[in-house]
Amino acid sequence: MKMTRRSWVTSLVAGTMLLGTSLLAPATALAQEKALIVRFYDDPAGFDPANIFRIENENIAFNIFSGLTTYDGVTGELIPDLAESWETDDNITWTFHLRKGVQWQQGYGEFTAEDVIYSFNRILDPATASPYASELSGIESMEAPDPHTLVITLSAANGNFLHTVANYHQGQIVKREAIEAAGDQVRWKPVGTGPYYLESIDVNSQIVLKRHEDYYKGPAPIETLDFQIIKDDATAAIALRNGEIDLLMRQGREEQLQTLEAEGFKMNTVGNYAVSLKVLNLEDPILQDVRVRQAIAHAIDYPSITAAIAPSLQAPAYSILLPWMDVFSEAAPRYEYDPEKARALLAEAGYADGFTLKVLGTSAQGVSEQQQFEIDYLSQVGINMELELVDTPTYNQRRNAGDFMMAGRLLPAVNPDMILFSYLHPDNLAPGGLNGARYDNPELTSTLEAAQADADPQTRMELYAKVQEIAMTDLPYIPATASNVFWPGKQSVTGVNINYLAQVNFWDVDIED
Amino acid sequence: MLTYSLKRLAQLFVTVLGVVTLVFFTMRMIPGDPISAMAGDNLSGAALDQMRTQMGLNESLLMQYLTYLGSLAVLDFGNTVTTKLPIIQLILDALPVTVSIAVGTIILTVLISIPLGTLAAYMAHKGHKTLDNAITGVAMVLDLMPSFWTSLVCLLIFSLALGWFPASGTVTIDDPVQLMRRIALPVLVLSMAQIATMARITRTSVLEVLSEDYVRTARSMGWSELRVLFRHALKNAALPIVTVVGLSFGNLLNGTVIVEFIFTLPGIGNLLVGGINSRDYQMVQTLILFYALIFVIINFATDLVYRVFDPRVQF
Repeated sequence: MKMTRRSWVTSLVAGTMLLGTSLLAPATALAQEKALIVRFYDDPAGFDPANIFRIENENIAFNIFSGLTTYDGVTGELIPDLAESWETDDNITWTFHLRKGVQWQQGYGEFTAEDVIYSFNRILDPATASPYASELSGIESMEAPDPHTLVITLSAANGNFLHTVANYHQGQIVKREAIEAAGDQVRWKPVGTGPYYLESIDVNSQIVLKRHEDYYKGPAPIETLDFQIIKDDATAAIALRNGEIDLLMRQGREEQLQTLEAEGFKMNTVGNYAVSLKVLNLEDPILQDVRVRQAIAHAIDYPSITAAIAPSLQAPAYSILLPWMDVFSEAAPRYEYDPEKARALLAEAGYADGFTLKVLGTSAQGVSEQQQFEIDYLSQVGINMELELVDTPTYNQRRNAGDFMMAGRLLPAVNPDMILFSYLHPDNLAPGGLNGARYDNPELTSTLEAAQADADPQTRMELYAKVQEIAMTDLPYIPATASNVFWPGKQSVTGVNINYLAQVNFWDVDIED
Repeated sequence: MLTYSLKRLAQLFVTVLGVVTLVFFTMRMIPGDPISAMAGDNLSGAALDQMRTQMGLNESLLMQYLTYLGSLAVLDFGNTVTTKLPIIQLILDALPVTVSIAVGTIILTVLISIPLGTLAAYMAHKGHKTLDNAITGVAMVLDLMPSFWTSLVCLLIFSLALGWFPASGTVTIDDPVQLMRRIALPVLVLSMAQIATMARITRTSVLEVLSEDYVRTARSMGWSELRVLFRHALKNAALPIVTVVGLSFGNLLNGTVIVEFIFTLPGIGNLLVGGINSRDYQMVQTLILFYALIFVIINFATDLVYRVFDPRVQF
């Protein structure tokens, strides 16, 4: 810092005089180039698909990399990406026909089937230590008969394999030469085939993406994406209202959404993107009784809670899967608010006088309004909810270790198997896996495995319906709320289609004059 | 003087080693570790354990401590857990922002609170209670407003309504004008609280010396009231003020956490909060080591400044 005491004093005292001048004009935009300034809400943690965490980082990676398939931003359907088409007879052998003439960013040449084989092997290699290795562990072999054909053979049938190879985590295709050149800085030097490449990054303040001129669908309309790190939601809203940013990635505060909407900003949104579940620990002697679990579900009126505290950001959830998923079943049991029934179930289970339910939560936001409502609703059926708030790392650790009665979990996923297998399959029992309820029902397990393998669409739907029926009857997890995601922006910013992984494909985004 | 300096240096070493050790074990006593903090909701326990082994977190605590001391001895501060970037570089990048805020705050505080406190003392001395009470009262109110609240109010007024200062935007030391526009509001917010303390201290110590004999003598020599006040009274009342300025500079370096968050400034407070939240042991240890060093150095500097104001102070 080369500032003398005098210049400091002068500047501070004379500050007001400078205020009216050009210094106060917003950061100058390049006249001929289109640039979009986007709010980014946390410290970036890197963009290596093998070790990527958290939605904001995944959003950047989604625009740098491509998968064999990807998700349509509007409909949420699986659509071709690097693979133009594919075929399988048995859900075991998958043949992908790859797009020709796809160029890597930064002069790394043309994309071929070998790149896919390298990328998947890299995820599977224990040396990479990728937490997503298990996603690809069903691959038995990969072959490339020619540079634009890829044959993947699985060890067991998987009807949802196209989700596994989508543009997300393990499905994102990297370039061997670029990975090797980056060494231990891979997370900061991503090279993909997507519409934008990483131009520069300052981990404390800014990420700049430039459009990939040779993108296979043609260059994106906007040349530069300037992501500015603004952590506080209130500050971010002021920055948008001030015109300092064009688009606000994720506004998480109800009152800010209301202000921005009232001021005429475009409220880009996706509804029902992930279910927030209550995890009931089945190793607990009280919660082992299914009637107790059902009583809890009947006792809390989540539709009223969401309507009261966050009508924009939350919606009530009724099932472990979301209604937009292709295998979602309407027939699974639902638990309407019914305190009488809850009391009856508790009495049947031998808890007519109630019991104490110890709930583990994170202290990040203090006691939430939702938790206050839960305490009140449960007390009305005689359940004494005791809330214990700990910080996030402690919370994660105790949830893994099983040191709780009821906790929560939110797992964003488009692949229904990701949710069903993670939460319900005994192979994924915590602490090894995400089955935090410690749920193991052989009937469900065999039905789920059959559903994943079945190649007949009709039988598959029936089997998945059966899985949901069992899960919602046994109720190891209680669906509480579904989150809605908002990216408020200027009216002139078009094409902000948020998909069900809360990601935006910036190739669709443009700025109108 | 030399003996004194050497003694202080030895003290510094012991203090810093103690701090480092305390922080090392405290961080590991808090439940959770970098891996569980990073994983969030979508990682299984097996994947976590694999990552833990890779990072050496499954080693014994003593082994980890010795490894840490070894790396300190060769000034290797390591990389962050999540980003794998060199910690020392991140701190050096963030330091100018925080130092600018702290220096700006001290300057603004001193410029306002010392005349104000002296004035209040003078008024009290002369028996004009009303103005004295008004100054002390306003200072109290400013002190009691929490900075997360004043920050947002300042943003709403000066950034949104008046449009004088931006709420966001990149900060670099290469662009001092932009830097000043970005830190102006944080400096204002932090000064509000500092002014109160400083004005009170000034008032008390000036009031004390105003009844001293030498002030009366100065007056009797026919000098102007201003000269008496600032040349004689204030100078002799300066010691406690210097102490408070020194201490508050140290406090400001870590007290900028909230304003850095709200005003989106990439300073070291930001690093510390991020480091604690992500249980980045190495980052927190290095930052605390750093704070300890700064405090020791500032205390030393304050002692030296004492001599300027009071030649009787001997080392």
